[in-house]
Amino acid sequence: MKVAVKAQGLTKQYGDILAVNQVDLEVFEGEIFGLLGPNGAGKTTTIRLLTGQTKPTSGAAKVAGYDVVQETIKAKEHVGVVPEVSNLYEEMNAWDNLIFAAQLYSVLKKERDKRVKELLQLFGLYERRKDHVGNFSKGMKRRLTIAAALIHKPKILFLDEPTAGLDVQSSRMIRNLIKELNKNGVTVFLTTHYIEEADQLCQRVAIINQGKIVVVDNPEKLKATIEEQHIIEISFSPSENLEGKLRGLKYVSNVSRVGDKFRLYVEDASEVVSLLIDFGRENNLRIMSLSTLKPSLEDAFVKITGLSPEVMATEKEQLKREKSESVG
Amino acid sequence: MKALVRTWLESIIKAVHIAKKDAKIYFFKWPNITFGLFLPAIIYLAFSVGRPAEISSTIPGLVAMAALFGAGAIQSVALPLERATGTFDRLLAAPVSLITIIIGKALAGFFFGMILSIAYSLIVIPLSGVALAYPLHFAFGVILSAFIFSVSGVCISAPFRDIPEAMPPATLLRVSMVFLGGVLIPVATMPNFLQLIAYLLPLTYAVDMLRQAMTGQITAQLFLVDTVALIVFSVFFFVTAILILERALH
Repeated sequence: MKVAVKAQGLTKQYGDILAVNQVDLEVFEGEIFGLLGPNGAGKTTTIRLLTGQTKPTSGAAKVAGYDVVQETIKAKEHVGVVPEVSNLYEEMNAWDNLIFAAQLYSVLKKERDKRVKELLQLFGLYERRKDHVGNFSKGMKRRLTIAAALIHKPKILFLDEPTAGLDVQSSRMIRNLIKELNKNGVTVFLTTHYIEEADQLCQRVAIINQGKIVVVDNPEKLKATIEEQHIIEISFSPSENLEGKLRGLKYVSNVSRVGDKFRLYVEDASEVVSLLIDFGRENNLRIMSLSTLKPSLEDAFVKITGLSPEVMATEKEQLKREKSESVG
Repeated sequence: MKALVRTWLESIIKAVHIAKKDAKIYFFKWPNITFGLFLPAIIYLAFSVGRPAEISSTIPGLVAMAALFGAGAIQSVALPLERATGTFDRLLAAPVSLITIIIGKALAGFFFGMILSIAYSLIVIPLSGVALAYPLHFAFGVILSAFIFSVSGVCISAPFRDIPEAMPPATLLRVSMVFLGGVLIPVATMPNFLQLIAYLLPLTYAVDMLRQAMTGQITAQLFLVDTVALIVFSVFFFVTAILILERALH
């Protein structure tokens, strides 16, 4: 398989902060590759390094066969970049934003209008082409940002947190778009802290923590690495803060709270189920639901990065909150 | 060689596109046009009421101030605004060099400053009834002034990521230039140490150049000194802007 993106010992230091530390990775042509990690792990800096927006302190990277430091302009001609926060000109309308993007990427004048129209129609924004982008919703802005990144038909598309802060419908639409683009031969490199997104979209994921790549593999293999661990999800009525008490149960190695449920990471599921029934009885708690779960990519992530499950839960809750706010 | 010429040509075209975009969204707006037209007049009137002055020697100062405020003031807001909103990253992600980006930005301010100065000249000179002695020299002075003040605007704003940070130093520099650059008080009448500072300011040379062309008291040597000084200032600010942004970005 041909390599579309290759990083070797890529390092970026800002003063005392090591944002990206000796990153080695390869992304193959035609794949959707995910860089997964918590906030501040170095995902955005990695994208900025790979797209020539900032220079590495050490190490090297090639994109579409071009060195991102020595042949920056050539490398940039073959990639599209979608940042986490839409960076369109809000004072300009959708049509003019895309025309300007086409001018920056030297799209021939005779093809510009046709390409812009095509993209606006594809992204469902043609009817709003004369409207100022400042009046667009977050989802519309994100769609237009992706359209701008595709104006020159790039071989590789970099997306930084493509669905962060979007409502469920927009997120789904963007995920489908990413899949569609990939089907049409575009290599996709995306960052996300939304683990289920990586699981749904990516053929391979790299987990990054504190600037270092911890593991690179496909999601199924990563899940398989923790299959010896069992997970029980339980909810009680009344719903109280029981994490401490549950953690004290035999065979329980960790407990996290996910909404009104408790997720228990256990060594022996059948033993713990009977212990939980006793626990409910002793504490006058009614068991509302109880189920065993297959390890998810999130569980693999938690195990591999060493981050506490609570941190991930908090991130997910935050994401849900952002989503509900944008819906509201 | 052919490829190199093509690359240069493409870079120039992209710089013009950036300039057109900046001109449209930052410069050519009514509040900016009225600001550029009225502010020099207000400063001049506030300072000169009750002080008799030769009209032919004050017009160049007004025109130079129009270039200074037109090209420089908005320029020092546009770049930090783009960095704060992330739109500057759009330019950085595109196949465009930093030099091309800065040329594009400087061109936008240059055109705005030049048009404003020309408009100012076309209004003020006929109203004053004074004849313009050397129109071509005057036009050359307007072009150079608009360019230097636009480039200096980019340079002064280059270290800053948002407008509140960028405004105080930019305003301080412009106001100091107005008082020390020979617009309101002739440089020759200033104390020696202030004269020394005046000769470190590009506005001094711009005003002197325009004044020579306006009054007809032109000296080839002095006109050349003004020209060289403004070119040197432009190159200095341009290179400094690139170095500052390179450092800030990488």
